Amino acid sequence: MSGYILPIIFIAVFCYSKYKKVNTYDTFVKGAKKSIPLVVDIFPYIATIMIAVALLRASGATNILATIFSPIFNLLGIPKELIELVLLRPFTGSGSYALLDSVFAEYGADSYISRCACVILGCSETIFYVATVYTSQTKVKKLLYAIPIALVASVVGSVIACLICKVI
Amino acid sequence: MNRIWFVMVVLSICLLLFNDPSGMLNTMIDASSGALTLAIELCAVYAVWLGILELVEASGLSEKLAKLLRPLIRWLFKIKDEEAEKMIALNMSGNLLGLGNAATPMGINAMKKLDDKSGVASHAIIMLVVLNSTSIQLLPSTVIGLRAAAGSQSPADIILPTLIATVCTCIVGVSLTKLANFLHDKFKRKKLNKNKT
Repeated sequence: MSGYILPIIFIAVFCYSKYKKVNTYDTFVKGAKKSIPLVVDIFPYIATIMIAVALLRASGATNILATIFSPIFNLLGIPKELIELVLLRPFTGSGSYALLDSVFAEYGADSYISRCACVILGCSETIFYVATVYTSQTKVKKLLYAIPIALVASVVGSVIACLICKVI
Repeated sequence: MNRIWFVMVVLSICLLLFNDPSGMLNTMIDASSGALTLAIELCAVYAVWLGILELVEASGLSEKLAKLLRPLIRWLFKIKDEEAEKMIALNMSGNLLGLGNAATPMGINAMKKLDDKSGVASHAIIMLVVLNSTSIQLLPSTVIGLRAAAGSQSPADIILPTLIATVCTCIVGVSLTKLANFLHDKFKRKKLNKNKT
């Protein structure tokens, strides 16, 4: 069902553009042209974040952090197997999907742990990535309380995720 | 961000001194080349979406969408800039469909429109960052795909729990931002009053 949504939207966009007498080919090219400068601009930000995450994982710092945070997560009801996932999720999308895969492999795709991991990933976003990439084209240096709020909201979401998985 | 990055990197390299000092540079270069691969992929994804976006704009569809979402956007962002409204409307729609990568270029455009060049994030920018960090996802397609690939019996049974959790995250994020913006305003006004007297 959901597979039909995008094709239908695209057909609608193309036909409506034609109806409005827009040159679809020229206009599409004009838009696509913007993708290279955009990626060139945001690449350094992506690289810088990914370097920090890779170092963090390679050095074993995530394991140490996981041990430090485990009492807090215990209190919140988040399984300790998922601490690394919750900690890395705000920084990297691809990294957290790789972690999800290893959780599947270790505990089975239908286990409680795996379902929790899925829901946690589904209700959270790569906060630091979003914050750096989105502000990369602006003069904004101080995001004030944006990141802390996003983090708190994600933790609340993760706690709820684990609770729901226990019930359903 | 500067502080967080500094702590992450210095702490990790210090630890690596004990574990694996010769592997440090390789780790960094691997990560960087991973970022390059990702950037090239993103470039392809953005070419498709920016092409569509250009059509959506040229045909006036974006204005229609913005008009539809206007009450919500006005309430969330308290802005009057129509260009920014259009971009935010498209950004929100992309996020709802679970198309984070399609939403990014529109979000960046919206940011540019909202930027007041003062260096400090305005309330609207903070709201946009929080909204994109906690956005509601109607369909967690990537996760379902991975789960099916891992041999799950019913990979889609996480849809409902995810929906509930993602709505909660979004509500918490938006209400905290509203509260913080309100308090921030109050604090600023107090400061101004004090300076006057």
